Amino acid sequence: MAEEKLSLKVGMELSYPPFEMTDPQGKPAGVSVAIAKSLGQYLKREVVVENFSFDGLIPALKIGKIDLIISSMTATPERAKSIAFSDPYLKTGLSLLVGTDSPVKSSVDLNVKGRVIVVKKGTTGHQFAVSTLKEAKVLVVDKEAAAVLEVVQGKAHAFIYDSMSVFQNHRRHPKQTRAILRPFKEESWAIGLRLSDTEFKAEVNAFLKKFRQDGGFEKLGDEFLMEEKKFFREQDIPFYF
Amino acid sequence: MGRTTAHILVIAILAALVAVAFMRVNYTWNWDGVWEYRQKFIQGWVTTLVLSVAALVGSIVIGMVAAMMLQSRREFVQALARVYVELVRGTPLLVQLLIGFYVVASAVGLDNRFVVGVLSLSLFSGAYMAEIFRGGLAAIPQTQRDAARAIGLSQWQSMRLVILPQALRLVLPPIAGQLVSLIKDSSLLSVIAISEFTLNAQEVNSFTYSALESYLPLAAGYLMLTLPLSWLARLLESRFRYET
Repeated sequence: MAEEKLSLKVGMELSYPPFEMTDPQGKPAGVSVAIAKSLGQYLKREVVVENFSFDGLIPALKIGKIDLIISSMTATPERAKSIAFSDPYLKTGLSLLVGTDSPVKSSVDLNVKGRVIVVKKGTTGHQFAVSTLKEAKVLVVDKEAAAVLEVVQGKAHAFIYDSMSVFQNHRRHPKQTRAILRPFKEESWAIGLRLSDTEFKAEVNAFLKKFRQDGGFEKLGDEFLMEEKKFFREQDIPFYF
Repeated sequence: MGRTTAHILVIAILAALVAVAFMRVNYTWNWDGVWEYRQKFIQGWVTTLVLSVAALVGSIVIGMVAAMMLQSRREFVQALARVYVELVRGTPLLVQLLIGFYVVASAVGLDNRFVVGVLSLSLFSGAYMAEIFRGGLAAIPQTQRDAARAIGLSQWQSMRLVILPQALRLVLPPIAGQLVSLIKDSSLLSVIAISEFTLNAQEVNSFTYSALESYLPLAAGYLMLTLPLSWLARLLESRFRYET
């Protein structure tokens, strides 16, 4: 039937490995792409991945350019005002990447006059900084790499981002940075849908439940995040599906 | 029909077309969020204004110096200017900004991102200016120089009284165009975390999850910067007009 061939347009920003990235041939790859493909199989729809900048995802969903968002997006009350979220599929939290000589030891050192905090535009770290850090100077950048450079070069005292990225960036720059991994604010990621698509949301939730029962998330964790999973478990820091 | 009436008519037709287009796509507006963050728009606009004016002056100075260097009889000086122009015109401003700020400026210990931003933008636009100035000077025929010298003007006098006034009139329209582009190119300074107009508008967009509401004030704000510039250029052009 023609309806079964209906495509499922999934929006994500393909610059967040290993969740959303492109393989060497330029094809979308990663955990979120794998989730999207399984969802497509479950719904019997052909998945088309649409690459949008992170802060353009919600507008794209609202306008109808995409059908849903699977882009490591945290379900926040602010976002929930304009889009709907599925049940959460992954728990993480906000952590800090700081320079080796940075005076920041924990999140309480952030809101201090003269402190420079870098965030990526449109992320929960950005929202946190704008709403909570009134004393500090907040630098807003477009790319994760630029934020990391700001910290590495000592231009910013801390970068607020999720635990996994902080961990990975610290491993890439072990000498110049420290990672304060224990989340000072816990978050969970969910699939974003239009507020009006209530039936669709129920289907997506049913899929997530089945995918978890079938061990899908466990398999993805082993495939893409072996080291991280081990490290985070050892440190007793929440990062798992 | 007067000129003003004609302008109003064209703008009205355009506005109507845009309004029809928006109605056709059934776009639901949400202006509350944008209004709530109006202070961010004003801050960003002022930053862009200051940035642009500084880079405008910088690029004109750099452009003039580079144009003179391009005309130099010394091979080395000419080569220096030529390499600068081709390198800057041939590479993306994005790359220049990132390397300029995170590598060059960091290496020399220049940490003020605003200064680095203005310098990078001036150097970028200056390369285009240099070619415009050189083209303007080259367009004045050699006979004019010969004639000026023949009536007893010194080299400097013939430049100041004969060549420059004519060249200036020729380069004004392209210079105005280049300056307008410079103002819009300043939006790229957001990549080195300068809180300029475009970045602020995008931030408001991401806080309010609106799609287009922030971009319309953004367009209007840029017009408020670029229109006076075009107007000034036309005024100057008419002042330098002469009978031929």
